[in-house]
Amino acid sequence: MVTHYKCPNCGSDMAFDATSGMLSCPNCGRQDDIETFPEENIQQKFAPEEAKEYHCENCGAVLLTEAETTATHCSFCGAPVVLADRLTGDLAPAKVIPFTISKDEAVAAFRKWTKNGRLTPRGFMNGDRIKKMTGMYVPFWLYDINGKAEVAAIGTRMRTYQQGDTVITETDFYDVYREIDLSYLKVPADASEKMDDELMDKLEPYDYSDLKDFRMPYLAGFLAEKYDFDEDALFSRVESKIVPYIDSYIGSTISGYSTISYTNKQINANKYKVYYTLFPVWMVYYDFENKEHTFAMNGQTGKVVGKPPISGGKVAAWFTGIAVSTFAALKAISYLVGGVLW
Amino acid sequence: MRKPVIKVSALILLLTILMMLTGTAAFAQTDQHIYDQAGLLTDSEISDLEAYAAEKSREQGTEFLLLTTDSTSGMPIIDYMGDFYDNLADQTGMENAVLLTIDIGGREFYLAGFGNAKTRLDNERVEMVLDRITPYMAQGQYAGAFRETIETADRYMEYKPGVNPESIFLQTWFHAAVALILAGGIVGTMLYNSGGRNTTTAATYIDRDHTRVTRDSDRFRNKTVTRRRIPKNNNSGGGFGGGGGMTGGGRSFSGGGRSF
Ligand SMILES: [Zn+2]
Ligand SMILES: [Zn+2]
Repeated sequence: MVTHYKCPNCGSDMAFDATSGMLSCPNCGRQDDIETFPEENIQQKFAPEEAKEYHCENCGAVLLTEAETTATHCSFCGAPVVLADRLTGDLAPAKVIPFTISKDEAVAAFRKWTKNGRLTPRGFMNGDRIKKMTGMYVPFWLYDINGKAEVAAIGTRMRTYQQGDTVITETDFYDVYREIDLSYLKVPADASEKMDDELMDKLEPYDYSDLKDFRMPYLAGFLAEKYDFDEDALFSRVESKIVPYIDSYIGSTISGYSTISYTNKQINANKYKVYYTLFPVWMVYYDFENKEHTFAMNGQTGKVVGKPPISGGKVAAWFTGIAVSTFAALKAISYLVGGVLW
Repeated sequence: MRKPVIKVSALILLLTILMMLTGTAAFAQTDQHIYDQAGLLTDSEISDLEAYAAEKSREQGTEFLLLTTDSTSGMPIIDYMGDFYDNLADQTGMENAVLLTIDIGGREFYLAGFGNAKTRLDNERVEMVLDRITPYMAQGQYAGAFRETIETADRYMEYKPGVNPESIFLQTWFHAAVALILAGGIVGTMLYNSGGRNTTTAATYIDRDHTRVTRDSDRFRNKTVTRRRIPKNNNSGGGFGGGGGMTGGGRSFSGGGRSF
């Protein structure tokens, strides 16, 4: 891979100037010390002959892998793929979480998962209809986000007590004000158009202690999808993901009140670091009753997501079972307490 | 072939007489439940209600009685009722009774529970029965009031003493509703989670070292005080004699009365 130093002023590629020992910008003349050069302005790009790109003619997926790995079939749809290009100058991932679950372990984990499906049809639970299982790296952007929140609210504290035959309710009103520094690290958003966002969100969380700097050999034998959305396009998705987190944090800083009503709430969040990252995902294609069901498994933790077939009979049985036993239990309690069954 | 039939018939007759005799001894059953001295009911109402009262009295082991009068001769209705019951109980040996007294002259009515009905139809339950019959009284439907009294008291007396029979927690519709909502909720959650659950929380990506409150204030602003009087338990017609009492003859009872 080739490292590029982007000029913090104008975005041009800076060159190392041997005489001064500094990075210097051919465009605007800025000079920087290579030791203290800001990390977010360093980019890795694929070197020539290092990576290959495949196109799926069936579903349009764009897949990449390292030079030695030969792909024959698309990880999404299974159709044959054609070699499109040797990749040069494309942005290379900065980080990767390698697969820790092997194919055999993934098969076993998936079988175990099908057995836990309390609402899935009996035949599905055997877990022996796995048609295909492919491991692929899915592109994500990880955002480091900082920001500020400023909230004003009116909080009340209520006290109710009885005096003679009068109930007295005392309500104290407070002006509540909070200024909060916010920081969230490596919030992920999948950059793949073909991957269902909801599905990918459910695969989280990944354990970031295994997060490695990207090296080409991690791709050996695996396909990675090429990202469809860049870091700016996805930031709004990440924002909508963390707003509930921020709200709940704000709520946790205001305690001891009976009611809180916000009169002003301003949240400002900005990304200050973004990592192009590959996450490991096992795609499972499962045949059941002449239909193919697709599941995704977190290649690091083994968590399985995807819509399994639902057995109407089992849903009805669970519903009836719970309703009848609850009804019987309530009846028994009310008989013990009241002495009357009906 | 005739003789055995006669023998069996005779045996059944004997048993029936025996059962009636023992029955009378056990419940001190009276053949009259309605003492309509004010003539508020029609003959057909009386015969209907007599039959109904007799049936329910047998089932409960408690006599359901109705007393109506034009005038209590200046006595409080409770004393008038007490004297009537002392008299009746002395004559018949009756021990357990639910007695509804209507004084059409004073436009008051009183419901009392004697013997085991004193606990099985305690003061709280008496008030609940009164709530239900007050509308009948106001409309002059005295037969309906007595029927409602028997029906409701009969139902309430099935419950253990001290329990509120109208409590929502004892109602079948409530049990059914809770069962259906719970089952719906659990199965709905199972369905919702069948495709995998979101397990990230607000804490997953937070950077605790740099997320903090930098300025805060909680300033007292003002205070409001509201007062609410607890409404008295008296219903519109005006209640009296709640809590029961003791008759002149020393019989204690639960009870309560209303004007109408
Ligand atoms: Zn520059
Ligand atoms: Zn494809």
